[in-house]
Amino acid sequence: MSVAGHTTRHPARRRFDADRLLTLACVGLPLIGLILFFAYPMAIVFLRSITVDGSYGLGNYAEVLGSSGFWRATRHSLVMGGATTALSVFLGFIIAHGLYRCAFPGKWLIRSVIVLPLLAPSLVQALGLIFLLGRNGIISRALGIEIEIYGFWGLLIANTLYALPQAVMIIGAALILLDARTYEAAEVMGAPPWRQFRDLTIPAARFGILNAAFVCFTITITDFGNAAVIGGDYSVLATEIYSQVVGQRNFNMGAVVGIMLLLPTVISYSIERQAMKRQQAGQTTGQVAYRPEFAALRDLSMAALSLLICAGILSVIGIVVYASFVTLWPYNMTLSPKHYDITLAGGYSSLWMTIVISLAAAAGGTVAVFLLGLGLRRLPQAIAQPIQILAAMPAAVPGMVLGLAYILTFNSTATPLYLLYGTAALIAIVNFYHYHTQAFLTVMTGFRQLPEALEEAAGSLGAGLGRTARDIVAPFIAPMLVSVFFFLFMRSMVTLSAVVFLTTPDLSVAAVTIMRLDDAGLTSQAAAFSTCVMAVVCAAVLSMKATLALMGRRTMAKGAE
Amino acid sequence: MYLTVRDATKTYGTFTALDRVSIEIEKGEFVCLLGPSGCGKTTLLRLIAGLTDLDGGEITLEGATLSDLPTRKRGFGIVFQSYSLFPNMTVAENIGYGLKIRGAPKDEVATRVKELLALVKLPQVADNLPGQLSGGQQQRIALARAIAVDPRVLLLDEPLSALDAKVRATLRDEIRQVQRSLGIPTLMVTHDQEEALALADKIICMNHGVVVQAGTPEDLYHRPATRFVAEFMGISNLLPASEIERHFPDLLTTRPSSDEPYLACIRPEQIGVTPAKDGTATVRSISFLGNLRRLEVDSPAGPLLVETHGGNACRAGDRVNLSIEPQACTWVIDDAARPETAPA
Repeated sequence: MSVAGHTTRHPARRRFDADRLLTLACVGLPLIGLILFFAYPMAIVFLRSITVDGSYGLGNYAEVLGSSGFWRATRHSLVMGGATTALSVFLGFIIAHGLYRCAFPGKWLIRSVIVLPLLAPSLVQALGLIFLLGRNGIISRALGIEIEIYGFWGLLIANTLYALPQAVMIIGAALILLDARTYEAAEVMGAPPWRQFRDLTIPAARFGILNAAFVCFTITITDFGNAAVIGGDYSVLATEIYSQVVGQRNFNMGAVVGIMLLLPTVISYSIERQAMKRQQAGQTTGQVAYRPEFAALRDLSMAALSLLICAGILSVIGIVVYASFVTLWPYNMTLSPKHYDITLAGGYSSLWMTIVISLAAAAGGTVAVFLLGLGLRRLPQAIAQPIQILAAMPAAVPGMVLGLAYILTFNSTATPLYLLYGTAALIAIVNFYHYHTQAFLTVMTGFRQLPEALEEAAGSLGAGLGRTARDIVAPFIAPMLVSVFFFLFMRSMVTLSAVVFLTTPDLSVAAVTIMRLDDAGLTSQAAAFSTCVMAVVCAAVLSMKATLALMGRRTMAKGAE
Repeated sequence: MYLTVRDATKTYGTFTALDRVSIEIEKGEFVCLLGPSGCGKTTLLRLIAGLTDLDGGEITLEGATLSDLPTRKRGFGIVFQSYSLFPNMTVAENIGYGLKIRGAPKDEVATRVKELLALVKLPQVADNLPGQLSGGQQQRIALARAIAVDPRVLLLDEPLSALDAKVRATLRDEIRQVQRSLGIPTLMVTHDQEEALALADKIICMNHGVVVQAGTPEDLYHRPATRFVAEFMGISNLLPASEIERHFPDLLTTRPSSDEPYLACIRPEQIGVTPAKDGTATVRSISFLGNLRRLEVDSPAGPLLVETHGGNACRAGDRVNLSIEPQACTWVIDDAARPETAPA
């Protein structure tokens, strides 16, 4: 008979209370942020898409829909999205199955390698492929063949490498849910291994596979970095927006393409959310972890396949690091640090700026989602629900579209928001709202694990909201906050799509600098810069692990005194 | 009256959790809110604690209304079923937290914590984290934390339900002892009638959001007002007046003169069994429960449950005579509402 979570429909009887004001502030401030920096720019981008010569109309849409370039880009985006999804889900299932349902040593290696593409700007995969398979690539030269890596195939491989970590994580999470007792029951009933695979593993992974497919599809059609570097003539919607806006200064047409790109991602995202709910509904408590027994045929083949995929990832990322030290690729392969002396595009200033921006986005974002989660717990469901839906929406918006929305909103002198244009603050803000959903959902997961009775106990002892938040809530969800902080930091370090429109000649970020260096033909310097970014992000990963481990240890040590 | 709840009403959508409930607690009194799950007892406790807002009615403490006060200003102590110790604080920090908030000096807090740890018989765990303690130990610390601030009322929300049987019995006695020695007015929510009988000065039996009967444990056990209370407070034999008239006419003398559909309520230990070859009833089965035997008997008035202590040599199939003293029979209103949770 728990009545937790309900609040009265007639709360008017209680007098003014400082805690209520604080609750309103907790929700109000992040909500204003969401409206100002997400909802409002998105409304602007929509309005601009229907603005023709100062009045409203569908002329832009007619023009875009009538152009063959748009249809070509759309067809390419969908084909590329479909192909990448199929390939990355297939490979992702192999690795996830290997990690969670097979017995072989060295899984830590696979786990570490598989996340590498997440630690680098997406265009690093493309750079790596060029160093391997391009005209001057190691493999092309060794075999003496000419591979046309620019275009469909190069983009497919680059995108697949980029989407693969997501696929592995999502499918793996689904497989973990199926616990040991289920397999034991099947064993007792006489089901042979292949039947257990067909009747238990596959159905358990079904929603995970579906979910992974939608995620892979979305990140593929919204990615800009790979397409920009290795897409060649294979234009996709993301590059189409870029060329409309940056190439032709045609903002309204860019807005139309942006809205068209928004359609499939919104649909895909909403289906994915539904699938997620179905999967969570099937969860049970008191799991018994599955410990696979060694089965030679299954495990050796799975291990070999997994290692092969990992070798692919490792070589693509590794070649970028290697190439950054090569004196003159491919003619003088002696090693030297000369490419790290970057003079073009402002040198390393954009790297330092990106670190500052990322720290700001991470710190501000973590505080904002914490306050939002804290306040939402204390609001009636009827008010909290719409805010939650709004907070989960940014994930459906491609970075290119959000970036375009920002330039349309903040580069207009119509509102005081213009003051933000061209500042590092605005880039930090766009990075936070670009990844708002993931940060928000992570914190909400933490809040869901926090028993309401803990806060009630603190309240009964005399603690107000501020005190409860500091003494009880924050320590409880601290690991989640640490994860959110580093997630926002790392994404801000490597993201390209949302910020590409917001950089100015004076203010650039790392991923844009890499793209500029590559555009200028300074591929080795681009590789050197990428290596620096990856080093920063790897350092961040290690600090996160260290922080979490330290927090765990301190709790243990405190109890052992 | 110390704490008074008058006409408390609470609805969730179309569901009425509490319908004009009024209760009273006197100074130093131990009151149990007893009822099946969903009867509104926890809602009532949360209203008193200020964790949920009233839709109607009033709660007063020593004559002053509580409606405007948020939980943290009411000065009550609460113990939850789920222990709810702060996992990031040591046992000592947990117990001292309320005093710390009130700005008590460090050494004073330390002394008080020490006292309380001794009171709950866990002096050695001060520097442990809650996660390192057993459920029973955690609940003792939760009790110490709640009484550390000298609460004006102690609220216990099913504090024993998550514990296993043996720990439950010990902790039950300790709660009673602590409450008696400190004299804190206490309200405990429970669905276990045995717990309520053992602990309470007064039991308030609830069902479907209303108070069905309030009184001493003896009152509720021996003189239940309705069929619901009779069935919830342990095992009873309920017989319609027509059967009593035919087979146990002696018992009709105590029947209230009213048109209400009264049932006769006879507790199983109030029925005497005498083996007799020409007995009117037959023993159908016998369960041996250690200190007593429970007999299922087919009587002319219908199947009856009988409990006997010690040397009754009946066996299944034996014929017996049944005897019931007139004062052992209580007449209850048939409210037809069967309890949702069958009593143990």
